[in-house]
Amino acid sequence: MIKLEPAILQAVEKPARYTGHELNAVHKPWDDVDCHFALSLADVYEVGMSNLGLKILYEILNNRHDTLCERVYAPWIDMEDIMRQRNIPLFSLESFTEINKFDILGFSLQYEMIYSNVLNMLDLAGIPIWAKDRAEGDTFVVGGGPTVYNTEPICEFFDFFILGEGEEVISEVAEAFVQWKKCGRPGGRAGFLREAAKLEGIYVPSFYEVKYGENGYFSSIEPTALEAKAKIYKRVIRDIDGVHFVEKPVMPYIGIVHDRIMLELFRGCTRGCRFCQAGTSYRPVRERSPEYLRQLARKLVDYSGYNEISLTSLSSADYSCLGELVDDLFSDFAEEKVSFSLPSLRIDSFSIDLAHKMQQVRKSGLTFAPEAGTQRLRDVINKGVTEENLMTAVEAAFRQGWKQVKLYFMMGLPTETDEDIVGIARLAEKVARKYKEVTGKWGVTVTISVSCFVPKPHTPFQWFGQLPKAEFERRQQLLKDSIQERAVKFHYHDARVSVLEGAISRGDRRLNKVIYQAWLDGAKFDGWTDLFKEDVWYGAFEKCGVDLTEYNERSRKLDEPLPWEHTSPGVSREFLQREYEKALQAELTEDCRRGNCSACGVCPALGASVIDHQQSEVGGNV
Amino acid sequence: MYKYRAQLTKGDEIRYISHLDYAGVMERAIRRAKLPAAYSEGFNPHLKMSFASPLSLGVTSDAEYMDFELTKPLCQPEVFDRLSRALPPGIKLIRLKPVKEPRPCEGKKHKALMAEVEQGLYEIEAPLVGDWSKALAAIHKFNQATVITYHRVTPKKTRDIEVKQYMLDQVKASMVGERVVLDMNIAITQSGSIKPVEILELLVKKYGLPIDMGKALINRSQLLGQGKPLIDLV
Repeated sequence: MIKLEPAILQAVEKPARYTGHELNAVHKPWDDVDCHFALSLADVYEVGMSNLGLKILYEILNNRHDTLCERVYAPWIDMEDIMRQRNIPLFSLESFTEINKFDILGFSLQYEMIYSNVLNMLDLAGIPIWAKDRAEGDTFVVGGGPTVYNTEPICEFFDFFILGEGEEVISEVAEAFVQWKKCGRPGGRAGFLREAAKLEGIYVPSFYEVKYGENGYFSSIEPTALEAKAKIYKRVIRDIDGVHFVEKPVMPYIGIVHDRIMLELFRGCTRGCRFCQAGTSYRPVRERSPEYLRQLARKLVDYSGYNEISLTSLSSADYSCLGELVDDLFSDFAEEKVSFSLPSLRIDSFSIDLAHKMQQVRKSGLTFAPEAGTQRLRDVINKGVTEENLMTAVEAAFRQGWKQVKLYFMMGLPTETDEDIVGIARLAEKVARKYKEVTGKWGVTVTISVSCFVPKPHTPFQWFGQLPKAEFERRQQLLKDSIQERAVKFHYHDARVSVLEGAISRGDRRLNKVIYQAWLDGAKFDGWTDLFKEDVWYGAFEKCGVDLTEYNERSRKLDEPLPWEHTSPGVSREFLQREYEKALQAELTEDCRRGNCSACGVCPALGASVIDHQQSEVGGNV
Repeated sequence: MYKYRAQLTKGDEIRYISHLDYAGVMERAIRRAKLPAAYSEGFNPHLKMSFASPLSLGVTSDAEYMDFELTKPLCQPEVFDRLSRALPPGIKLIRLKPVKEPRPCEGKKHKALMAEVEQGLYEIEAPLVGDWSKALAAIHKFNQATVITYHRVTPKKTRDIEVKQYMLDQVKASMVGERVVLDMNIAITQSGSIKPVEILELLVKKYGLPIDMGKALINRSQLLGQGKPLIDLV
């Protein structure tokens, strides 16, 4: 058990990151259970504590009588320095137990630039960084979350991965571990991994052999163990109302990033934006029933004391019973001064009316995501939004009193030309002028936030070569120079980080050594702009003799084997290719939730189906 | 509106949360307790609650005072039980009293909680690293001095503070096991005060008190107004 003395805690920023004891944290006697699970997100406390998936898994694991689950996050750099100076190992926030005493350590992998922190945490915990170096009795390291659809660049640091939704499979893993332990750990570490590999949705990278072709590119991956499947499909929760959701969230004493209730309305989004990895990896759409959501909201408010509920989903405004649900929640919580928010808005007046209802007076700002500056390019990415839609939406917003609009765009999309870049400025200016037209005065702020497009695995753009850094920077400058209206403010993402993310997200196993080298040379908290060390990363690629541009800038051939295709969210290669070809023709594809099925392959591959409450009501009446 | 005054603790578990965070934690506790809390008017309603003197990060307390308002006159035991049950680890409700506002003929209304505070009692304990006699000598010298200056450095400004004007009593020292325990009685005024940790710093650095400051623990044992605990003022 680690006890930090006052001098240490007085010396670091926000010491309550490390002192635990939060309300609703679960404390179980260590010796009462067979499986000791530590759950982590390799970022600071305030970020880690905000993750909904971990909150759910924490409760599920702690609801098992044979398992305990505790939390651990990345110490901030000030605390890390002290821990390294004084040889204090990484510890959990419930029992302050050293992390290397846990049986399993799980990381939620939210984005690629968190990988260096994973390595750093393993090192601080005293767990061998390379999976092959771990001995009998060492902690098993498992990863899950959004980046698991290409884990090859980090697969040598993990014993196994969980693909897809974890509610059921995390329990199966704990069960398998307990059984293996009770049977006297047959076969040692590999014995447990073989048991894990039998479960659906589990990928054990050490059970596969990778081959590269003469051109140096990835050519094949083959299972080497009997239990390892040639293709692993993600896990999906078929009955979304029947699965456990957070009821008693651990209540932080200090402010965290999402310091409110997150009520998840549904999983998945089938709008089919071609750049979006979440759009393919969380399919199919499955809505929770409004009745169940009201029950959940009640419990969450009672157990947390929060007075704010965020209605979260990939595109919350698409929830079929949203209007009705919001009315019901308003009346349920009228006495308790609970407020509601929608994290994302659709570009239409329905969303504006709803936002108006929710933010009765505090009209802080509205955010829309047209993603591209011209209609042609919006059609390429299948955004399904027209300029007219946007103008109607902002007009409604300005009439309701909003004065701040934020517009999200991407730069470097396939087929993009300078005209599309300038189109971003023109669109933003039209929005600003709309305000003048509606209100008769100036005084609006239109912020355009432009990110650098990163092609992601298992999306229609997975073959597309990312722009070089210099070209991103040229286009950023072009856009900057194109803005003539003072009401338009321009923010853009750091291209240096985006091109690295581009390399890692479509990387193969040869990047493990690069990531290791970068960590060795001091990379950590790469997602924090002021801590990102560009030289360290470029240096690591160079030292390892790996050409970065082969991974991010190179366009893949359509018939080329891709290193991530054995770990699948269920969308078929044929569908992705069809979508890529349609994109190049600027042809649209319908949302399968209400329109035609686009044969993406998810439902048959996973034995799941769309759950849409509006549809089922209609179906019931026929 | 029905006002109540609570005496709460800030325990070792939450020693390192700020005053603002403590207030947020209490706000959520009142909501979990399902008390008919009164909210401020306006567009962004918040709970009507106020606190006495903010506590420094790292200091525990047996005497945190909070006034809050309900829209219904619930009886004291009910409010006490409901609030107690909703508190997180590290906070205990010690006493609770309804605040009786005097009738207009009886004189002035209660002052704001913060304005009622006049003195704070603190105890500091830390391991002795040297001679007890040397410790006593250091304390004695501090107590005898007529003027002591503390050089306070904050990110915004630095200034010199005369310490003795805030010392309502002599610092008392005793030994409990291997640890030195210091008792302090500090004036808290509208125009300022001195923090116990600042006195400790002076004692160690200027008067040579032989203790391990890195292991020092500070606790506020009481807050007084008119010589009485704040809860006895209502």
